[in-house]
Amino acid sequence: MNDEWAVTASGIVKRFGDRRVVDGVDMMVPRGSVYGVLGPNGAGKTTTLRMLLGIIEPDAGSRTLLGYDNPRDASDRVGYLPEERGLYPAMKAREAIAFLGALRGLDWKTGRERAVVLMEAAGLGHAVDEKIRKLSKGMAQLVQLLGSVVHQPDLLVLDEPFSGLDPVNQERLEALILAERDRGATILFSTHIMSHAERLCDRLAIIAGGKRRFEGTVADARGILPQRVHYTPHRPDPAIRGVLPADAAADGDSWRFELPNEGIESLLVRLIDAGYGISGLSIERPGLHEAFVRIVGQHGDVAKEDAA
Amino acid sequence: MTRFRRTLRQTFTIARRDFIATVFTPIFLLFLFAPVIMGSFGAIGGMGAASVSGGAQDKTRIIAIVPAGTARPITQADAGLRALFRDEEAPPALTTVAPAADPAAQARAAFETKDVDASAVLYGPLDAPQILYGPRGRRSADYLGVLAQTTLAAQNLGGALPAIAATKTPVTRSTTSVGGQHQSAFFAVFGIFFLTLFLSGQVVGTMAEERNNKVIEVLAAAVPLESVFFGKLIGMFGVAVLFVAFWGTVVSQITTLMPAGAAAALGDLTPAVGGPTFALLFAAYFSMAYLLLGSVFLGVGAQASTMREIQMLSLPITILQVAMFGLSSAAVSRPGSWIATAAELFPLSSPFAMAGRAANSPELWPHVAALAWQALWVTIFITVGARLFRRGVLQSGSARPFWRRKAKATA
Repeated sequence: MNDEWAVTASGIVKRFGDRRVVDGVDMMVPRGSVYGVLGPNGAGKTTTLRMLLGIIEPDAGSRTLLGYDNPRDASDRVGYLPEERGLYPAMKAREAIAFLGALRGLDWKTGRERAVVLMEAAGLGHAVDEKIRKLSKGMAQLVQLLGSVVHQPDLLVLDEPFSGLDPVNQERLEALILAERDRGATILFSTHIMSHAERLCDRLAIIAGGKRRFEGTVADARGILPQRVHYTPHRPDPAIRGVLPADAAADGDSWRFELPNEGIESLLVRLIDAGYGISGLSIERPGLHEAFVRIVGQHGDVAKEDAA
Repeated sequence: MTRFRRTLRQTFTIARRDFIATVFTPIFLLFLFAPVIMGSFGAIGGMGAASVSGGAQDKTRIIAIVPAGTARPITQADAGLRALFRDEEAPPALTTVAPAADPAAQARAAFETKDVDASAVLYGPLDAPQILYGPRGRRSADYLGVLAQTTLAAQNLGGALPAIAATKTPVTRSTTSVGGQHQSAFFAVFGIFFLTLFLSGQVVGTMAEERNNKVIEVLAAAVPLESVFFGKLIGMFGVAVLFVAFWGTVVSQITTLMPAGAAAALGDLTPAVGGPTFALLFAAYFSMAYLLLGSVFLGVGAQASTMREIQMLSLPITILQVAMFGLSSAAVSRPGSWIATAAELFPLSSPFAMAGRAANSPELWPHVAALAWQALWVTIFITVGARLFRRGVLQSGSARPFWRRKAKATA
């Protein structure tokens, strides 16, 4: 049993008909980390997660879950929130959470007790005995999320967990993810909303067109793109272009360009010597969003609905 | 926890959910009291029909055109004979009329009377009476003939038949009657048919619910789909057990509350293999029928993605079920015939037909063979059904067969 990795995947492949929806994806998710699987719609994220969980079998490749070759052997230690949310409408919220726990080996009594605690902590204490059909979509989604953590899993897999949630509930969900990590759980989640990934992920993989295009930390991803300089001279003058790097683009009275490989100092000296002066200067790191667009755009495989 | 124990626990978690979701709903009361509801509808229909026919019966008469001296004896004889009939089977009331100049014409005219409907009319001497009868009056005509004969016999014996002192002693059969066995057989076939018809539909209903609510992926992620499949079968089986236990208790106690005659009639419904053995065999055959049909319903139902598709797919299976019921009913009414053998051998009708056979024939060894035969088919149906279920639910190809999984594990 491997203690270092919560999830490993090596060259996993899934075909639906003639289409290779997932095409040789590798993944190593460290224990105790928050790991994001990023990708555009139809990239193969959901299918990848389903294979990792053993819901469907890969056509090729191998994977381990919490050290088990057969993901089913780890099922009691895993929590899962699927992309398509679903609960029994006639069940009460507390029962629904206890039921999801019971599926993962938690006894009903403990499940009911923990459900109340979790719901109160999530601000849903008033809805403990409400039937699911009476809850709003966002509340039902939170209930399902609580059902995926009620048995205190070692691995929490969340497929597009933020979709459909309002900003308040998105914040609650982020807090819950961090609380689960602090408890010692590993969190693996998919998303195409970069801001969440940027805030939460220790590591991430970017998938596009069924292939893994990037793997590393958020900083690594952002490091793919050069830093950009935002410079404003004292004296606007079109002739300044002759001093600035070739890629400089005007932005009102300011200029934007990539940070030169040799650094900014020599350029600044030249600008001052030429009498343009410095009214404003900032060096900006590109965000994950820009890195994602660059990585995905390079491969041009965006699209097609995720058939899985 | 071993994999087997975990699978068992997961299966029963699903079963528990389905059982509770079915039993703790108002709809379940409809199912539980379906026999009462069906019986009530039957009774209401019967009462309506009886009321209509009773109204007509009140105005229907049998008429004897006899001299004044014969009117009294024939009325007395009618009173004596009428006592043998139940109310609903009694002939129409007797009216005596004195003969006119032309009794034949008088008899014909009686059928045209507006006040009453003449069912049959007798005229002429009692030793050679003429009896006319109208539509549906043949039985009345026969009765008038016997009435004339009895009246004549009484007159020949001086006005009354000799009195006798009969000693009447009720006797209970030590063996079951053929009629009772046939009735028991039919009830057995109908009981299994009714239960499987309802429960198979319910199984597909819960399946549809999960497809609609997208719960199926949550289940599929947490437990193997085989556990979902078995859990659903077991959950609905629990519902059936509850139903059978309820009505079994009611039926076993109801005879104490019934009038002696009705209780005796129920008592004649004794199956050939004996009550306790029959109960065990009924339970076994019901289980087999349910597992066979339930797995077909679940496997096929999983191929549909909407309620409408499920209904469309369920229809042919329901027709198949009704056909099995028809085949088995024919089998139990003709034990030992080729149709009975065919019904007992064909996997889908075998549980029905063999339950009927248990009522008709005391031999036990055919049941051992039949249960083994059916268990084989249950295994086949469940294996294929579970694979269809997995393929249908995930729309993503079947699971790797166990022999390939085994081969991979050993590699």
